Amino acid sequence: MSIDLNILIGGAAGQGVHSITLPLAKALMRQGCWVLTSQSYQSRIRGGHLFNQVRLSDRRLVSSREGVDLLLALNQETVTMHQGELSPRGFIIYDAAEVKEVPASVPSLGLSPESLLPGAKERAEIAVNAGACGAVLGLLQAPLDSMLALLQESFGDKGAEVVEWNVQAATKGYEAGAAQKYGLSLSGISPPPEPRLLISGHEAMALGALGGGLQFISGYPMTPWTSLFNAIAQRSGRYNVLVEQAEDEIAAINLAIGASYTGARSLTGTSGGGFCLMTEGLGLASMTETPLVIVNSMRPGPSTGLPTRTSQGDLAFVLYASQDDSPRAVLAPGTPAQGYALAAKALNLADRYQLPVFLLTDQYFADTQFTHLPGEFPEVEVDRALAGGPGSGTYERYAYTENGISPRRLPGFGPELVVADSDEHTPDGHLTEDLQVRIKMHDKRLRKLKTMVQELGGITTSGDPAAPLTLVCWGSSQGPVQEAVERLQAGGTPARMVHLSELWPLPAGAVTAALEGTKKLVVAEMNANGQLNRLLRQETGLQADHLVLKYDGAPFTPEYILRELSNVA
Amino acid sequence: MLPIELYAGIESAWCPGCGNFVLLKAFKQALGELEIRPQGILVVSGIGQSAKFPHYLQCNTFNGIHGRALPVGTGARLANPDLKVVCATGDGDCYGEGGNHLLAAIRRNVDMTVVVHNNQVYALTKGQASPTTGQGVKTTLQPQGVPYPPLAALALAVSLGCSWVARGSATAPEHLKELYKQAITHRGLALLEVLQPCVTFNRVNTYQWYKERAYRVTETPDYDPENELWAYRKAKEWGERIPIGVIYRHSRPILEETHPALAAGPLVRQQPKRPLNQLLADFF
Repeated sequence: MSIDLNILIGGAAGQGVHSITLPLAKALMRQGCWVLTSQSYQSRIRGGHLFNQVRLSDRRLVSSREGVDLLLALNQETVTMHQGELSPRGFIIYDAAEVKEVPASVPSLGLSPESLLPGAKERAEIAVNAGACGAVLGLLQAPLDSMLALLQESFGDKGAEVVEWNVQAATKGYEAGAAQKYGLSLSGISPPPEPRLLISGHEAMALGALGGGLQFISGYPMTPWTSLFNAIAQRSGRYNVLVEQAEDEIAAINLAIGASYTGARSLTGTSGGGFCLMTEGLGLASMTETPLVIVNSMRPGPSTGLPTRTSQGDLAFVLYASQDDSPRAVLAPGTPAQGYALAAKALNLADRYQLPVFLLTDQYFADTQFTHLPGEFPEVEVDRALAGGPGSGTYERYAYTENGISPRRLPGFGPELVVADSDEHTPDGHLTEDLQVRIKMHDKRLRKLKTMVQELGGITTSGDPAAPLTLVCWGSSQGPVQEAVERLQAGGTPARMVHLSELWPLPAGAVTAALEGTKKLVVAEMNANGQLNRLLRQETGLQADHLVLKYDGAPFTPEYILRELSNVA
Repeated sequence: MLPIELYAGIESAWCPGCGNFVLLKAFKQALGELEIRPQGILVVSGIGQSAKFPHYLQCNTFNGIHGRALPVGTGARLANPDLKVVCATGDGDCYGEGGNHLLAAIRRNVDMTVVVHNNQVYALTKGQASPTTGQGVKTTLQPQGVPYPPLAALALAVSLGCSWVARGSATAPEHLKELYKQAITHRGLALLEVLQPCVTFNRVNTYQWYKERAYRVTETPDYDPENELWAYRKAKEWGERIPIGVIYRHSRPILEETHPALAAGPLVRQQPKRPLNQLLADFF
């Protein structure tokens, strides 16, 4: 048996699209499905059109995909916009109070709020949301128990009456769904032996940062970065994390630099436009050798761009932002589990090498929820890399060393004074205009990258390791590329994926080795100029034979990648 | 009382006769009299002649970038409230480039001292107008004279509810030392503006100019620094007479008290041990 079903839930902002998605996805996951949800929304609070997708399978899912099997429409616009995407087994479930026209050629089920939950009008939203969840489960012949338990979990604090309304509507919806005929049944799927997590990229990074000992976070709200800021802030009370909302992104990065200088594990974050304001702070962290993790959750630009859409357009920006050559590291996770590991690793790298470390994400990575096993989030190491033992009295914050790393001490912890300076400085931290010192100090800072690259790798491969066709990708493009490679392989075309998550300093030797045997090199990324391809050429001399690019603000799909490949092959 | 030699820093690059020398000596004396050891203090600075201040001292130092001393100081103080944090800034640094941070720092009321070395000119960049340069003063960039009035920063601070507002002058060193002591021991954000003659680029606001105008505000018969409206009027006073001394003070909760994460002590002394099981349970 192989199940692969895509549910699209659409409506206006404020209609409850998210209130349907999460319980439905969780119920299906607890039932034993592998679930992946993704979001597409506009920059507005009410109205407009937004939709979520819930894809489910009996096998692990790594990507969203095209095509809609079940269309769950809360308004007419959803039907009009998405009916063309319906697959041969397409089915429409709709709010009969809002949707007046459905195509006659497609089987459908209208749910009337009044029949699901008779009574007051203000319950109509509850009725439709819970009723629609029930109807999907009924249609797919999946048990209703997990859903009922979830409604209790979600609405328990709103009182027994609200729970009862939800249960009643879900049950009615379930009966209506079960009375329909649909060609696919989940009755053969059984709950997993151990509970699984439905977790988004940014939630997993919050988990990794908390596990990695984060103590201080400052930021200014901006989509899509805000979801990570929220995920940490909401849990900060339980884990003693100090959260400060800054007056602007300039303050956000300087607050974090101040906290880190004194010794707190610190993180700040933003999206592209906010990072424009942070660039002077980036150089400051680099020059003062202050450990810092910076999240840039990318969205299409330049300037305000498409605020709620996705992009991989800031790779070049974070590689080169700030004056002169200033050392930094750049990491970009491909899955929530990798986001978890890299958030913790970023904190360690920042402390070990005393420099800013980027985590590059985007709207697709931030919001997309994967099904993960708890074991995929193992214990993480916390390495503060501070100088131990008593000091020698006069302390050189920027002592020249072979590997470039100067022993780091914290102010107020001993007899040493810690002197940090944004000016070019002598080893003791004081400003200087001695040009020989300048060369030695600049070389010392840059040596840290040569040391660091030895512990970097971050290469994930899939498919046929000897295939002549290699698709290279980075960050959140992993899932769609991985699935495209799977489909190529299944169709008899040998192919492999090489995914890079540790991009700077690029471990050029390991990347070159991973690409060995490639006859046709394809680089797939979500920007217009192939920024990874340029980096690859610069660092390894290798470059793509073909680029698969997308910069319309909507995420890659496996189908899009395959179409593009068929055009160039 | 600790000897001021304890605070001796590297050789200065300020012009001979610079008002900053008076500030430096008064500050060292204040630290000595308060018996604050160099290890217990962090001086944060930005860019400008004021930014060199911590280098000419013995203390923990973070010399950052233009206008950003206040957020760095705030972050440092939040992470380690055991440190006394002083920001050494200037009129360009704090009132111009870093204006938004001044508003936020006053609202936050972090327990930190902000000293504004006000020489009414951009000295490091050789003589352009600063936010406090007088209206009509001619500079290389304003050959017709500065077209608008100077920023009344202390009045702004009073209007924002700053918990301690004062002005000192390089022409009254002993008085300045006392103000430093009060600012450092004040619980909350202390804003101390200091009249600091620039002997090279400001030929208008000289030692003599300040000496003729500065008067001790504490000696006025209606002195009432806890009265917001009185303080506002005094803070606006500028021209023939310039008040020096504490203009406004009142008690407000400090930012450090509002952050629950600090209840268990300074962040930098906490060992964040977070059991994986508990963390995972938080994300199911």
